[in-house]
Amino acid sequence: MNENRRQILQMLSEGKISADEAERLITAVEERPAGLSSAGTSESASKGRPKYLRVQVDAEDIGKEGPTKVNVRVPMQLLRAGVKLAGLIPAQALQRANVAMHEKGIPFDLSQIKPENLEDLIEQLNDLSVDVDQKDEATKVRVKVFCE
Amino acid sequence: MIPLVAVISLRGRQSRTVRLWVPLFLLWVLMVPLAVLLSPVIFVGLLVCRVNPLRAFSVAWQVLCALNDAEFEFDQRSAGISICVF
Repeated sequence: MNENRRQILQMLSEGKISADEAERLITAVEERPAGLSSAGTSESASKGRPKYLRVQVDAEDIGKEGPTKVNVRVPMQLLRAGVKLAGLIPAQALQRANVAMHEKGIPFDLSQIKPENLEDLIEQLNDLSVDVDQKDEATKVRVKVFCE
Repeated sequence: MIPLVAVISLRGRQSRTVRLWVPLFLLWVLMVPLAVLLSPVIFVGLLVCRVNPLRAFSVAWQVLCALNDAEFEFDQRSAGISICVF
C-alpha cells in the first residue's frame, strides 16, 4: 500500500474525512501518474521559498535609440519590511491613498495589507509569474514578474 | 545586517564599463552622529503623527537590512547603469 493511500485511510479512520471524500482522494491519487508524484514532490522541495522578486522589462522603440532593458531584483525581505512600513502609515493617509488609487481606476484597499497576512502573501508569490506582451507598430514591450 | 557596499556599474557609449565600489559602511558611520542629533526631532514628529516611534525605528532598520542583495539594472543601447547592494 502506498503512502498516500495509507494517509487517506488513516484520516478516514480518525474521522477527519468522510468515506466519500476518502474515495475521491484515493481516485485522485490513483489517477495521477506515478512518476509525476515523486517528481512534483522533489521539485517543490527543491524550489523552497523564493528569495527574490524579479521584474524584467524589455522595451523596444522602433526607429529610436534601441531596446531598453530594466532588470530589478527585490529581496523578499524588502517586501516583508515594506508591508510592515505600510502598517505604520496613519489611517487618514491610507484612506487618502485609497481614494486616490480608486480615482485612478485601481480599486485596492491598502488597509487590507497587514503584517499578519504577510507570510500568506509571500507564500502565494511563490507561484506568481506575470508575463505581459504588448506589440504595436512603434513599440514592443515585454514585462516579466516572477519569484526566484 | 545592513548593506555595507554598493557596486555601481556605468556603461558608456563605447561599451566601456566603469565600476564604482561605494563603501556604504562609511556612510553609516558618518550618519550616526546626525541620526543621534535628529532623533529627538524625529521622535516628536512621529508622536505628532501618532506613530509608535520604537516601531517606526524597528521597521526602518528592517528596511535598511532588507536592502541587502537588491539589484537594479537599467540598460539602453547607448548607456546603462546597474546598482547592486551587498
